[in-house]
Amino acid sequence: MKKLIFFILFSSLITSLASARSTGCKEGDCDNGYGKWVYTDKTTYEGEWVATKKHGQGTETWPNGYIYKGEFKESQWSGIGILFFPDGSTYEGEWANGFMNGKGTFTWSDGKQKTGIWKNGSFQE
Amino acid sequence: MEVSKNSFKTLSEPVKQFGGLVGIIILIFLTFFVLNNIFGEGDELVAKMKIEEERIAEERKLNKLISSLPSGVLVSFDGTDNFKLSDELYEAVCKATKLIPQRAIMGANFLNFRAHEIYTINGNKIDETFVKWDDEKNKCFAGFVVSGNNVGVDETVKVSGEALSFLSTGIDTRVYFIKNF
Repeated sequence: MKKLIFFILFSSLITSLASARSTGCKEGDCDNGYGKWVYTDKTTYEGEWVATKKHGQGTETWPNGYIYKGEFKESQWSGIGILFFPDGSTYEGEWANGFMNGKGTFTWSDGKQKTGIWKNGSFQE
Repeated sequence: MEVSKNSFKTLSEPVKQFGGLVGIIILIFLTFFVLNNIFGEGDELVAKMKIEEERIAEERKLNKLISSLPSGVLVSFDGTDNFKLSDELYEAVCKATKLIPQRAIMGANFLNFRAHEIYTINGNKIDETFVKWDDEKNKCFAGFVVSGNNVGVDETVKVSGEALSFLSTGIDTRVYFIKNF
């Protein structure tokens, strides 16, 4: 019984250590500078950091295929950027608070486009 | 009556024993018939069992299929390096998939700000998720429902779209991309 408990605790420790080693700041300076951060779900951010926040130019890649390249402010997608959807659709333009806000162009994977003003992810007619 | 009693007595012992055996068998059958009519559910029970057996067989078939898929991202469209699902596999994976992970929900919320707000305010809580195969459109649809109180107003938002990619973990499959635009 003691051996079993020891084995479970030891396995948990090894798993935690392995997880800790694969996440966090993997390259560069993730406090103030340029660095790469890997999250537990394998989302990655590579770009500029200011006061431990994503700030400046960077690229965030989600494991399910969403890729945002562009400006970050206070760790949010804000400024000019392009989002690649997993199916190949894209939105290129202005962002604020993590959403399509401002002028931008949405291009579907079949090439169809919609350009105009966007507010919180919705196209304004 | 007396005549039949006498004729019974005149029968040989083996014939009597055989008659008794047949009588007992008939009695047992009748007893089970009466008990089945009183307590048994008859055809209804058989139908239920058949449905359950079919469900188990279908589940086994899907589990076998899922374990045969490569681990990683499975897509239903061209233009990526990921494993491309055939039409048949796409339908099977859709029918076998139950889970929608957080990133797929967050991705769908890009095009639905209200859902994003409720989702965030309520600590990323989801009321309901669904993955359904549409026989008429030959497409897989997935979505989720979020509800909660947002600035004093109770709201419920349903987000749904075409499920175009999945993640195969080797144990199960998960919706990875909901196209709701």
